[in-house]
Parts: sequence; C-alpha cells; structure tokens
Amino acid sequence: MIVGLYVPGDTALHKLSAAVKLMAMFGVGAVLVLVDTVVPLAILVIGIGFIFTVVAGLGRNRLWAATRPLLIWLAIIAITQVWVADKEAAFEVILRLIALVWTAALVTYTTRLTDMSDVIARLCGTLRPLGVSPDRVAFLVALTIRLIPAVFDTVREVRDAQRSRGLERAYLAAFVPVLTRVLRQADVLSEALIARGFDRWDTQ
Amino acid sequence: MIELEQVSVRFHDRTILDNISVSLTEHRIGVVGDNGSGKSTFARLLNGLLLPDLGTVEVNNLDTRDDGKDVRSQVGFLFQNPDNQIVMPTVAEDLALGLKPHKLTGAEQSHRVSVTLDRFSLTHLADRSAHLLSGGEKQLVALAGVMVTQPQILVCDEPTTLLDRRNAAHVMRLIGELPCQVIVITHHVEHLNDFDRVLVIADGRISDDGPPGETIPRYLETLA
Repeated sequence: MIVGLYVPGDTALHKLSAAVKLMAMFGVGAVLVLVDTVVPLAILVIGIGFIFTVVAGLGRNRLWAATRPLLIWLAIIAITQVWVADKEAAFEVILRLIALVWTAALVTYTTRLTDMSDVIARLCGTLRPLGVSPDRVAFLVALTIRLIPAVFDTVREVRDAQRSRGLERAYLAAFVPVLTRVLRQADVLSEALIARGFDRWDTQ
Repeated sequence: MIELEQVSVRFHDRTILDNISVSLTEHRIGVVGDNGSGKSTFARLLNGLLLPDLGTVEVNNLDTRDDGKDVRSQVGFLFQNPDNQIVMPTVAEDLALGLKPHKLTGAEQSHRVSVTLDRFSLTHLADRSAHLLSGGEKQLVALAGVMVTQPQILVCDEPTTLLDRRNAAHVMRLIGELPCQVIVITHHVEHLNDFDRVLVIADGRISDDGPPGETIPRYLETLA
C-alpha cells in the first residue's frame, strides 16, 4: 500500500515543492492521454522507473511494492483489450497505468503528507468566502489517508480473534465488531482532536 | 489552578460523579480508584471535554462551560491509548499538528517541534512513521505532541496502562519532571510516591485526599 508512506531522503525530488510535484503528476497524466503509441509510452515508463529508483533513491523493492497490487488488474485489462481491440492497445493501456501508478507512488514517497495537505489548503483557499475551511479540508484528506492502515489493522485484529475461536471463514460475522470498533475509535479520535485544539483552528 | 464546585455527572440513570468539590493547586496530583469509579470522567471534566450536569469546573478562573476552547489551550490531555491521539503519519508532522491553532511561522513551528523532540529524546524518530513505533515510543510521541503546545496544566488519563514496567516508569519519570502542573489518573500507585497529593475516587466521590504517604497505604488496604 502506498498511502502515507513518506520515505525520508535528501534527494532533489524530496526537496522539490509539493505543489510542483503535484502539477508534474497531473502533467504526466495529460501526456499519457495524448501519447498513443507504444514506444514513447515505454520510454516514459522507463524514465519514470529510473527517476523512482535512482534519482529519488527509492530502490527496486519499493517500485515492485507499488506495482504488485496492480498485477491482477493489469492481467484483466490486458485480456479484455486483446479481446475487444488488439495487442498494441493492451500494451498502451498497461503502460499508461504503470506510468500513472509509479508517478503517484513517487510523489507519495517523496512528499510529506503535511506538505501535500498545505497545497490542498492553498487550493481550497479560494472557497473560503463560501464558508469552507481550507485547513479543515486539507486535514480531512490527510487524516483519511492516515486512517486507512488503522482500519486494516482493526479488520486484521478482529479476524485474528475470530480465527482463534475457530471461525475461519466468518467474514460477515467480522462486519459488526469491525464497524463497532471503528465507530468507537472515531469517537475517541474526535475527543483527542478537540483536546489537541482542532476546534480552535479557525478562531485564533 | 483548577476548581470544581459541587460537580455531578450523570449518564442515563447512573450517577458517575456525585457532588464533588475540590481545588487542585499542587504541582503533581495523582488520582486513583477502581475501574468504573469515575476517574476518567473526572479527568475529562478538567479540560472541558466533558461538561458537568450540575456544578462548575473552573481552570484559572475560566469556566469550562463558557470558555471551553480557552481552557483547552491551557490544559493538555494525554490519553491512555496513544494510537487514538496520534493522527499524522510521521512523528514530526504529528507534533506540528498541535501547533496549528498557534499560527506560528514555518520556522517558529519547526524550531518548537525540534526542541520538543530533543527534550523527549525523539529526534531520531522525527521522520519515522508514528503508526509503526513501539507502544512506549508512541506514548512518548503523544506526550511530546501535547507538550509542544506548552500547556500550563497536563491531565493524563492512565498513561501507562498499555506499557510494560520499564516504559511505564520512563514515561512517568518524564511526566513527573515537567514544569507545568500535572494531574495523573492511574492504577499504578507506585508511580505516585513522589507526587504532592493523591485523590482516591470511589463510587463517584472523593473518598480520600492527602499526601501519597498517607492515602496510598489506605487505598491499598481497601484492595486487600
């Protein structure tokens, strides 16, 4: 999972501002839509891979970790594309997806979540006259990303507890305890946020 | 100084705290009591996380009912489970979060964070994922996350319950050395021997109050 996994470093990419990196990510996305032949797309993928592993110093293991969850989807898409179009179309879609995911992972690994949320806050600043709190929107995004692993932990703990009681495949039975625990954690979290001054963000 | 005046808290038909009046002025105050005695409810009253059904709670002459936000800017709160308190991905980012209401410049914020990390010997963990730290390290991060805001009073709700003995002693030593007023709710009475005052809560009332040398032995006798 690539969420919330900033990797500390001192490379040029780490030092680049979050806004520039986010713009570059969208730029890469636009280029990927415009390029519709395999060779330039392959060169782009190789280039992003080089930047990921060498320039940003993130290594091949992280590149593989970012790619692995995609494999099943790539296989499904490839089969579908070959079936409805041809092999070249399949290669193009696969290369586009890999380039997008690697770019997103590159930005995630080299950008602190707070820097990212600052950019979101600046973008939302224009909505302030409409009563939108930019800081709160940015924090909501950051908190959502941060809590994804916590929810997975809760699911794992509940499943472990059930398996230890012999309920190997009781996936539905896990739903209620997971939901109860997540809601209780949300209560405690909201209390902790108030204790840490969340209700004073816009008033001082 | 915290002043509770005839405070009662009820939940449905059950009385959690019953007509409590007490002034908390000492530097280090411990609060002990059995499960369900009302300790955590007492703690949450002190920074306005919970409001009393009857009576008043005042912190430095600010009423928690009317001035809750100002009270919380003066009273830091350390929870039992640091996982519920740490919300940002890395340690440094989590400390910086508490400074948001203070509207500091980037440089001031970084300085305050690095000084606090250094004070709690957490500098080497600054960029580490807070989610993946050990229990003891997480509780230190949670404590640093509160202290970075420089509160005048720190309330700790069973801060060592989830820690092993070594980490519990370490966290309590750091808490005991803080210059601000400290109020610690705990089951671990052995950590309160150097405190200035210990309150015992039983059945929603303060059943004993005095120096730890007197109250703790009496409390332990009731457990025997």
